[in-house]
Amino acid sequence: MRPLLRQSVLLLGLALLPAAVQALYFRDRISWESRIAESDMVSVDLARSWGTDAVWIDARPDVDFERDHVPEAILLNEDRWNELLPQFLQQRWSPEKKIVVYCSAESCNLAGDVARRLREEAKLPNQIRVLKGGWEEWLKTRK
Amino acid sequence: MNLPTKALLGALFLCISTGAHAQLAWEKTELEINPAPGADSAVATFKYENKGTTPINIKAVRTSCGCTTAALKKNDVAPGEKGEIVATLKTGDRVGQQVKTVTVETDDLKSPQTILTLKANIVQLLELQPVFVSWTANEDPKPKTIVAKAGKGVTIKSLEVTSSTPEFTTKVEPGSTAGEFKIIVQPKETGHQATANLTIKPDKSAGEGKVFNASARVMPASS
Repeated sequence: MRPLLRQSVLLLGLALLPAAVQALYFRDRISWESRIAESDMVSVDLARSWGTDAVWIDARPDVDFERDHVPEAILLNEDRWNELLPQFLQQRWSPEKKIVVYCSAESCNLAGDVARRLREEAKLPNQIRVLKGGWEEWLKTRK
Repeated sequence: MNLPTKALLGALFLCISTGAHAQLAWEKTELEINPAPGADSAVATFKYENKGTTPINIKAVRTSCGCTTAALKKNDVAPGEKGEIVATLKTGDRVGQQVKTVTVETDDLKSPQTILTLKANIVQLLELQPVFVSWTANEDPKPKTIVAKAGKGVTIKSLEVTSSTPEFTTKVEPGSTAGEFKIIVQPKETGHQATANLTIKPDKSAGEGKVFNASARVMPASS
């Protein structure tokens, strides 16, 4: 029984050691955590269910927006923030509506940055959410 | 120690020793840069060297967003050869710390992918708080204030503010500290909806031709 136990512990150790070495080696190379809190995000299904009670903001670069975007979404990215923000505030913003911001995918930070600036710089009182999975996720569920 | 155990231990040490000697060695995989206020781009140079004994092919270089480009002079790196990848972030109207990544893929089996991180601290030339003022329909048309503050290391001596419509008046007053201003905005009335773009021009000390925008709006009466 004891040799079996010793062999098992040895094998487990052998399996764990390379994993630990690899984890240490890649520690600073991969970002493991999203910068956006879960409570600040919304799923595609829930955002869709809001219908006309929500305004959609596309935070991707102009070229991506021009190629395709969520219907009725307005372009607001940080490349032209000073020019595009007034257009949104003057033409589309409504204090009662929720705001859904999206960028290309789960991993992009653009939507989170735009949502933060809407809260901090424009001081908008609206419920502002970042779309989980971004445009890629929206495309999967496009009807 | 029996033979299978020795073989397993040998394999483990071989695995660790070969994994620790990646051929393409990077001087730094993370760079933090502080571009000059108003600069239209932030540039970081990631240097590498092939410390191995065989050539390496850089198969792909991808950036995390369309705002960042990565330039590589050649894809094949001979043993002992040095090179660099120049990552350029187009700052646009971004402010604060921007973290962008460049993913480098090579045919080096021991280290096929490296993620380079560019951190750029972009100074906001003029901070507007808030950038938007609004009144509900039929609200008392009292003036509201936007505080304009020069960014860190930026000198602004005066501001010129104009409204796109006469339905809003604007006035600039000095703030509580140097480089700070109060922009007083007031609608003529709030009986009907109105919007205005407020164009804010700092004096030339903040940079030639720099213009900022704020917005004012009287909301429509809810139906």
